[in-house]
Amino acid sequence: MSVTSAPSQPAFRAAHAPWIAGAALLALYAAFMGDLYGLRLLTQAGVYALLVIGYQFVFGHAGAFSLAQGAFFGLGAYVTGILGTKFGWGFLATFPLSVLLPAAFALLIAAPVLRLETHYFALATLGLAQVALIGAVNWESLTGGANGLVGVPRVTLFGARLVTGWPLLLFVWSLVAVGGLLAWRLTRGMKGLAYHTLRERPLAAASVGLDGGMLRATAFVLSAAYGGAAGALHATTLGVLSPEVFDFSIMVACLTMAVVGGRGRIAGAILGAVLLVHLPEWLRGLEQYYLIAYGAALLLVVILAPDGLAGIVDRFWRRGRGRSETLPFIPASTRGAHVGGAALHVENLAKSFGGVAALDGVNLRVAPGEIVGLIGPNGSGKSTLANLITGLYRPDRGRIRLDTTPIETLRPHEIARLGVRRTFQTAELIAGASLIDNIAVAYAATANPSLPHARSRALTVLAEAGLTSRAWEEAAAQPAGVRRLAEVARATVRGPRLLVLDEPSAGLTEDERTTLVRLLRNLASKGAAVLVIDHNVPFLSGLARRLVCLEAGRVIAEGTPGAVLADEAVRRAYLGTAEKKP
Amino acid sequence: MNRILRTATIAIALLAAAPLAASAENVRMPVLVPITGILALEGTSQRNGAVMALDEKPGGVEAGYDVTDTAASPETAVNALERALAQPNVVAVAASIFGPQMLAMMPIAAERKVPLVTISGTAKITEMGNAYVFRFFPTDAVVKVAQARYVVEELKKTRVALVYQTTAYGQSGQAHLMDNFKRLGAQIVFEEGLAPAVKDMAPVLAKLKAANPDVIVLQLHSGPTALFVKQAAASAANLPIVAGSAMHQPSTAALLEPAELKGVCAESGSSPISGGSPAMEKFTAAYRAKFNAEPDAFAVAQYDGTRMVLDAIGKGARSASKVRDALATGSYEGLAMTYKSDGTGNMAHDAVIVCYNGSSRVPTIVKRYAAR
Repeated sequence: MSVTSAPSQPAFRAAHAPWIAGAALLALYAAFMGDLYGLRLLTQAGVYALLVIGYQFVFGHAGAFSLAQGAFFGLGAYVTGILGTKFGWGFLATFPLSVLLPAAFALLIAAPVLRLETHYFALATLGLAQVALIGAVNWESLTGGANGLVGVPRVTLFGARLVTGWPLLLFVWSLVAVGGLLAWRLTRGMKGLAYHTLRERPLAAASVGLDGGMLRATAFVLSAAYGGAAGALHATTLGVLSPEVFDFSIMVACLTMAVVGGRGRIAGAILGAVLLVHLPEWLRGLEQYYLIAYGAALLLVVILAPDGLAGIVDRFWRRGRGRSETLPFIPASTRGAHVGGAALHVENLAKSFGGVAALDGVNLRVAPGEIVGLIGPNGSGKSTLANLITGLYRPDRGRIRLDTTPIETLRPHEIARLGVRRTFQTAELIAGASLIDNIAVAYAATANPSLPHARSRALTVLAEAGLTSRAWEEAAAQPAGVRRLAEVARATVRGPRLLVLDEPSAGLTEDERTTLVRLLRNLASKGAAVLVIDHNVPFLSGLARRLVCLEAGRVIAEGTPGAVLADEAVRRAYLGTAEKKP
Repeated sequence: MNRILRTATIAIALLAAAPLAASAENVRMPVLVPITGILALEGTSQRNGAVMALDEKPGGVEAGYDVTDTAASPETAVNALERALAQPNVVAVAASIFGPQMLAMMPIAAERKVPLVTISGTAKITEMGNAYVFRFFPTDAVVKVAQARYVVEELKKTRVALVYQTTAYGQSGQAHLMDNFKRLGAQIVFEEGLAPAVKDMAPVLAKLKAANPDVIVLQLHSGPTALFVKQAAASAANLPIVAGSAMHQPSTAALLEPAELKGVCAESGSSPISGGSPAMEKFTAAYRAKFNAEPDAFAVAQYDGTRMVLDAIGKGARSASKVRDALATGSYEGLAMTYKSDGTGNMAHDAVIVCYNGSSRVPTIVKRYAAR
């Protein structure tokens, strides 16, 4: 077995060392400093840690600004509270229901709510929390109204009631450990990369076949389950329950913990919860002025540590610790690769925006193994055509087929899963990720994706593009040409059946352009159909065997590059006159 | 050398013993009240009452204290209580006026055997068999009887429009008022719960007038009470208003013009600014000087409760259990009334009705209802 070496990837154990040390410190603090008051605070911090770990799914990973986490927390608390006080159920019986009911509720509302754009989504989820609060206050016969419920049963394990102090602390933090481990497994590797892509570049996510809706819904449901679990623990550790659990302040605390601790990080959730539970207590002696000090402290953290405290720890720890990682060599024909090319058939395609016809009766065919260049002046409909083929737009009329499969009604990720890949006018690279991971994410929508496998394949393509030395560098820090080539590499790494490139040569140096031509020809030689949109006519003439020219949403010329460039209509479209040579 | 060693040993022994001696003497009564959040106004009065009593050191009796804000959540109150109880020699705690916070703190107080001295109006806190709760403000079972009796027996009104807050305070009072009006033969012709955030009272006033009541009975917090009274005056409802204890608070009356207060009455445990005794007038003057604010019944009740604890300490109760016993079995002549436990921790059994005459923000006590 050959191996491939990539520079500057931090090793797993080294990366996690500060967190293991942090956990040990926390345990030491509890062991040596914790009186009953200290143990209660740590127990409470554990409850909030679980809440925030869950919130990281939807807010940190999926990037959806949900304000419903407080409502799920309250719902879980009331399930345990009501079943415990009114029906005498023990915690071990109520806990699973406290987890499942909020999750089921989230599943029910996910479809309509997650369709909304960011701020509307936030408002809708805030509305849910308010409805829950009103319900808790006014449904007195069930919830006890504003007075709430008293005597929520404590946890009983093997016949022993877990009292406040060490027993309850260990129980809560055991659940935090289980929850944290589960969250880590659900968001590490390719899954984490998929969520990162969805959050930072939703278009790029769809273009590699990731179902953003499903990912967001999964995150929403998971966050609700964790919220419910935290709520159940809150009810049982406190022993009483009142509508304050639905109060917006819980949601604000959760959000603050996630941001201060570090968005998307499990360690950040725990750090944020421990800090923000303790901070008001440390400042409580200031009486009514403690809120000013509390707010100032939070403001300071947010300004000085935009990635949260966990981000600071990571940054300091990783500084100068990069080292090479050995990746297994994966032959090109192994899993994840699309097999063979496919013909693109576009028939009588039309699309209007308001009263403006962007495309009007366009016909186009790209055969397997063929490279077709699409030219036309600005506003002629080239990018609209690319967006229609890849599902970002729905046509008003006409058909698009991949071989015999109609794709005009499919969603972007469904089309991508058929082997259609694309690049964008502005390179859609994922900020906060390395170049290698920007390419590896192309495998995120495959069955049982493996990050080492994907990285290995990504490294091979990076080598073909001459970018090996930059593999672990931050994508956002790369020059325009490198970014462009990296996006092409992502689109080609799995050997697409149809590749649609939107202005791939823009910003490339001559050498980079040569590399691009080599990559695309190599791809076509393996059977892929390639449609290249570009303004650089000499580049396209050298690359494509056939050119198609669009003007005002219609095909005005089609044929060999020489024939198209000599066409009077094309020259008129580009230059405004047929007398001069283009 | 031996002399130096002996001196050093004695010095170390004295230093080591000093905290023990001090801890045996310096008892503590932490003050855990909401000075921010929804009950900030009432909680501040409660704080001031407790602090005033503790700072006075009556008869030289001293108890150390810290004031901790319990804000608006039971969780915060529990943390505050645990923190307070982590200190040595806590003999009693001045505990939150906010019912849900009391309900959360009570099991801990019982477990640690430390009495809670509160003015919370939530009925449930003295209905749970907890021997460590002592309430120095008359419960709804007292003041709501007075409020309903004043409406029916004194004002001779029988068609009641009841507007209450959808909070623990509001819902508890509403339940008692409903029972008492029913018992007294009055009819509830209109009833509506308002969230504390509601600012526009016009819709509820319009609906209320359509029900044709002859009296409006309020069970709202301070701010909503002022808003309701102001908008009722502006709408020329021309109906007498008998409000809950929030209306007796000078801070509530300060939000209104004297003319807007004409015909408005309120129940309360006391009304310090209305005078009534030289001791009460002395307290009011001292309170104004110390806090630059007007005292209300909550301040007086917490003051009286704290003074009863200090009185017990002065009589030799140097531990939490002895203070609890003194509160449970003794009686105390306070500023507002004589306090004595009914066996469940309810110490206050008298109520007053105060009314505004339309020319001043200082109400007059028009009726006293003593325990029957």
